[in-house]
Amino acid sequence: MEGKPYSRRLQDLEDRFEQLDPLIPEGHEKEAISVLHGIVQELLRSLHRGGGAPSTDGPTLADIAELHRRAPPMEGESHSTPLSVGARAPDLSLQDGNGRLVSLHDFRGRPVILVFYPLDWSPSCSDQLSLYQAESGEFDKYAVQLLGVSVDSIYSHGAWAAVRGLTFPLLADFEPKGEVARRYQVWRPKEGFCERALYVVDKDGMIRYSYVSPKLDQVPDIYELYRVLDSLQAPVHGAPEVAGRK
Amino acid sequence: MNATPIPETGPHAPYGGRPVPAIAPVVVYGTGWCAATQGVRRHLDRRGVQCHYVDIEKDPAAAARLRWMTGGSLSHPTVSVAGEVLVEPSLYEVDWALSRAGMM
Repeated sequence: MEGKPYSRRLQDLEDRFEQLDPLIPEGHEKEAISVLHGIVQELLRSLHRGGGAPSTDGPTLADIAELHRRAPPMEGESHSTPLSVGARAPDLSLQDGNGRLVSLHDFRGRPVILVFYPLDWSPSCSDQLSLYQAESGEFDKYAVQLLGVSVDSIYSHGAWAAVRGLTFPLLADFEPKGEVARRYQVWRPKEGFCERALYVVDKDGMIRYSYVSPKLDQVPDIYELYRVLDSLQAPVHGAPEVAGRK
Repeated sequence: MNATPIPETGPHAPYGGRPVPAIAPVVVYGTGWCAATQGVRRHLDRRGVQCHYVDIEKDPAAAARLRWMTGGSLSHPTVSVAGEVLVEPSLYEVDWALSRAGMM
């Protein structure tokens, strides 16, 4: 990328600060210097962000979208072994957030990414699904369909999708609760929700990739997902490569 | 009267045209499993911005450096753009920092 020359002053100071790190003995003084530096950086950020009076009209949609940052963490080790690569993906038919019935076989002829995630509104799930939404243009190049699955109701899905701007279907594995997650061997009976897991199903309905996050708060590596999609097929429309992906 | 801009390079540049790098360094500190880290890296990819990605779980020295810069925090992602250290920034903040560094 072409860039314009930038002011080096702050960068030079930062570089100098970084170089001082190993020269200062560990202890309270060093910690205090580090904290002061953190304060200066945060002040700089707040200056750049600007101010303005807080809204008096109650929480905004953006406030609600950010709630997950303060929500209780979701923790726990995985204890599931997913279905094997090469197996046929079990069919599923569930309602999405708009009440429409969505089936896996609807997408026969194109690859599908099944995203099992524990719960709407929760910390890692919110960031994970927003990450995928931001990738929608890249997923389109692979003609791949994304389907989210959790035990939440269609109403929770609808509200969550609206707040986060999610446009791919979120399917309600609601009643019988977790039946599809059980079918895909990613159910967590103790908690009553599913693992964080990914399946990539090819255009013929065969599982080509399965992954269960070792910890609930860990989101699968998007770069690995793209390597899987690359192995399935070249991007359509002659797109040479996903934008800038390294 | 319009002021003539001072040339930054060439024979008429002050101090012999001390070279100024065109691209500010961008460093992303994070982990492979953090959605927000992945989001920032992909955002930079889409912007065509080259960054140095540091996995703080695989690089203890980098993790210690991050603690030093942030006042003890190992929050991820932390993005350094031209000397600005942004702890868990929004993508808008990243874009503004890139803009100030002349990269957008």
